[in-house]
Amino acid sequence: MPSHDALALLVLAPLLAACLTVLAPAAWRWLPVVGTLVALPVLLAILTPAVVGGGTLVLALAGHAAPLGIHLRADGLALLMLWLVALSGGAAAVAALRSHPPASPGGGYFWPLWLLLLAGLNALFVSADLFNVYVAIELVSLSAIALIAAGGQADALRAAMRYLLLAMLASLAYLLGVALLYAQHGSLDLYQLAAGVAQAGGGPAATPARAATLTALSLITVALLLKAAVFPLHMWLPQAHAQAPGPVSAVLSALVVKTGVYLLYRLWLWTAAGLDTAAVATLLGGLGAAAVVYGSLAALVQVQIKRVVAYSTVAQLGYLMLVFPLVGDPRAAPGAWMGAGCQLFAHGLAKAGMFLAAAALVHGMGSGRLDRLAGADKSQPISLFAFGLAGVSLMGLPPSGGFLAKWLLLEAAWMQRAWFWMAVLLLGSLLAAAYVYRVLAAAFVTPPAAAPGAAAPAQSSRGRPVPLSMSLPALLLAMASVAMGLWVEPLLEMLAIGPPPSVGPMPALGGRP
Amino acid sequence: MSLLMMSGSGAVYLLAAAGIIGIGVYGLLSADHLLRKLLAMNLLGSGVLLLLVTLASRGGTPDPVSHALVLTGLVVTVSVTAFALALLDRLYRETGEIRIDAASDDPPDPADPADAKP
Amino acid sequence: MTLALDALLALALLALALGAVAGAALFRSIVMFIVFGVVLALAWGRIGAPDLALAEAAIGAGLTGALLLVSYRRLVRTTPRRTPRSRPAARLALPLGLLSAALVLGLGASGFGLEDTTTAGAGTVAVPSTAGQAVLAEMASLPLDNPVTAVLLIFRGYDTLLELTVLLAAYLGARLALGGSPPLSARSAPAALPMVGALLAIVVPLSALVSLHLLHAGSDAPGGAFQGGAVLAAAGVLLVLSGRLRAIGSAPTSQRLLLVLGTLTFLGFALAARLVGAALFTLPGMWAIYLIESALLLSIALTLVLLFAAGGGLAWGRE
Repeated sequence: MPSHDALALLVLAPLLAACLTVLAPAAWRWLPVVGTLVALPVLLAILTPAVVGGGTLVLALAGHAAPLGIHLRADGLALLMLWLVALSGGAAAVAALRSHPPASPGGGYFWPLWLLLLAGLNALFVSADLFNVYVAIELVSLSAIALIAAGGQADALRAAMRYLLLAMLASLAYLLGVALLYAQHGSLDLYQLAAGVAQAGGGPAATPARAATLTALSLITVALLLKAAVFPLHMWLPQAHAQAPGPVSAVLSALVVKTGVYLLYRLWLWTAAGLDTAAVATLLGGLGAAAVVYGSLAALVQVQIKRVVAYSTVAQLGYLMLVFPLVGDPRAAPGAWMGAGCQLFAHGLAKAGMFLAAAALVHGMGSGRLDRLAGADKSQPISLFAFGLAGVSLMGLPPSGGFLAKWLLLEAAWMQRAWFWMAVLLLGSLLAAAYVYRVLAAAFVTPPAAAPGAAAPAQSSRGRPVPLSMSLPALLLAMASVAMGLWVEPLLEMLAIGPPPSVGPMPALGGRP
Repeated sequence: MSLLMMSGSGAVYLLAAAGIIGIGVYGLLSADHLLRKLLAMNLLGSGVLLLLVTLASRGGTPDPVSHALVLTGLVVTVSVTAFALALLDRLYRETGEIRIDAASDDPPDPADPADAKP
Repeated sequence: MTLALDALLALALLALALGAVAGAALFRSIVMFIVFGVVLALAWGRIGAPDLALAEAAIGAGLTGALLLVSYRRLVRTTPRRTPRSRPAARLALPLGLLSAALVLGLGASGFGLEDTTTAGAGTVAVPSTAGQAVLAEMASLPLDNPVTAVLLIFRGYDTLLELTVLLAAYLGARLALGGSPPLSARSAPAALPMVGALLAIVVPLSALVSLHLLHAGSDAPGGAFQGGAVLAAAGVLLVLSGRLRAIGSAPTSQRLLLVLGTLTFLGFALAARLVGAALFTLPGMWAIYLIESALLLSIALTLVLLFAAGGGLAWGRE
């Protein structure tokens, strides 16, 4: 099958699976998992070799080139995200099979939504069209929020509602920006707009074209910052990610929230690359730094394990903002770019694994409170080990993927003598170690022996066994996030395909446009 | 003044779109009841869509791509609104709340009532 | 004087919008919103977007209004338990609203003057060559006459496919959110009233005819599957309101097939294009367009009615 078809198939196959699941929810129990996992062989056998070997793939749908039609585009970054969707989504699906069996009444609606979520994510990552991205964002948000509300508990419903309102507002701001850009430049293609944006935005101050373009960029950026939960627009995330069912939280933190980051990258590193973005880059980096510090500190004071992991997401996303100031220097730009890509991938794997592990721990110990986790080291060894291993990557300990990412970013910061960003990176790792340690310490404490005649049964504090289908995916993801640091060449080769203009070609890695 | 350069009706609807957007933002922030928030959100959406078409059609000829985009936007808006109403219904049924503060920061971790017993 | 008409419409829009957000009674606000939708439909017509006028009237005003009203009826049963806290955001509302309006106005006004430095006083403003102009240039080679339908199905069909899945996701999400149990009961109109029967006997077949006409006309004139589907859905809403149709917990296979029929048909044609060697999403001819639009109409209509009825499926008969 030609690689261009594979590109579209990554979106169309889960979509088809979703429709078929609606038609026969109970009959074909294996269909949802197949729909999720079908991406893996396609990516492995067809798409990755095509992109790495041949450079960025562009597919003009219906044969109409932009601006008439819609382009799908797979460069290194897009491919990376597609891999992340396939791996995290696949592992989370296995875990979700246990908690939301397809045959159950709720399962009949859960699984089509799950497949639509994955289809929407893939659609977003390969799209080169601003409005197509809008529709994909709506699909992703709607499915994700519905999945959050699946449990029906009051807290989950409230979190879902809040997320919905903010997501709607963000989408409207995004749409307004798109309206301005289209009116100004006549195209909806992210890459075709680059020339127009550079011309309009780079001109003398206070022309109408410049005002319209800059306002549009600002509106879209604010919308994306909200979607990416970057400080200070992060308020909706901790509740939403903590209250969702375990596998859903995994996908939310690993994938859904990354859509905002990914689109920010596309916007500022490609579409607006021709502008003088130093001020914006510093602003975005500053917000990222604030997110790292705030998120880590907040994670330190949480009493529920899922809240710790959710605030950790807020913090780790901050690292991803640091790429903007760091690519400013041409010498450091390739390193910064690779660091950001590695962080995207490593965090996705580690956070998905961590959430799955946390869900398994909550299931096994009966409560999400940290003080109730005592004794988990004996009763939930796999889940706890997975949690710790994922934490290793988040902390940035060698040889994990997280270490690689932070090392690359540190190196890029050092090359520019950017002490502030270096300090942020180091402080973030320290704080991450602190909040991961806190959870592990709570689990390794031996539960106090029950006093004779006490009402509380000692049995429940030592927990019940967790099925392998919940703990094994967590372990595999966590191991992948660590192993990634050892087996890194494929990843870096991927990132060298189609790097942003400010990074330039990376011939040492076999880079191609 | 540039406004006078193009057809008067285009300018009129541009004014209307701007006004609707402003009213929508005002309604969104000042509304307490969730249903009012959804109303304001829909108004805001209509304003943005009106703006999209007005700006794209400023040369005099209607721009079909902008029309198609707005049509898609209308369907997406009604989908999201319908889902929001279903969520609202369930939220109301479970908690009796129809007012939510979307802008406030996280409340401190509530103590789990089940953990309160010794 | 057309300018006076436009000014009047614009003023009406603003007044209705204000009434919708600032009204004290929620019911009144919803009604104002519905009327706003109808006036907006007129405005779309004035701007030269008759397709949008049809869609706004059916979807924006009609169905959204129906959804809001029925939701209002369900919520107003008991008083809410929680008392509202003081809201600092409310104090920002007025200044932010004015600011946004001013910002948009400023941008739009300046945007309109974009090319006026280059035109030699011809009276029309030149705009950069746009996707829309490219579409209009391509129209001659297509069997369609309606450029909007051409964009929706031929040039940007992929967007339309995704939009259908958003609609499907809304239905699935609503079912999941409601947890499978029926919503708070909204008492439907007494089904036995003689006038109701007479009304339905006239309106429902007429709506079906109108929706079919819109479907057929959509290729050459304003109309299309979305507008037709919404009109058919409106007939369905009437049937639900009068008790002729009722919501049931889960949909029978036939209805589930109808729900995904639009998506599957479009998907089928998109993929089948590859089998004959054409690019993905290439449509083989007008017959394909008719088939797809018909399937879309049915899916859209059923999904919208189910969203209104807040049920998994529909069944005939009184409650």
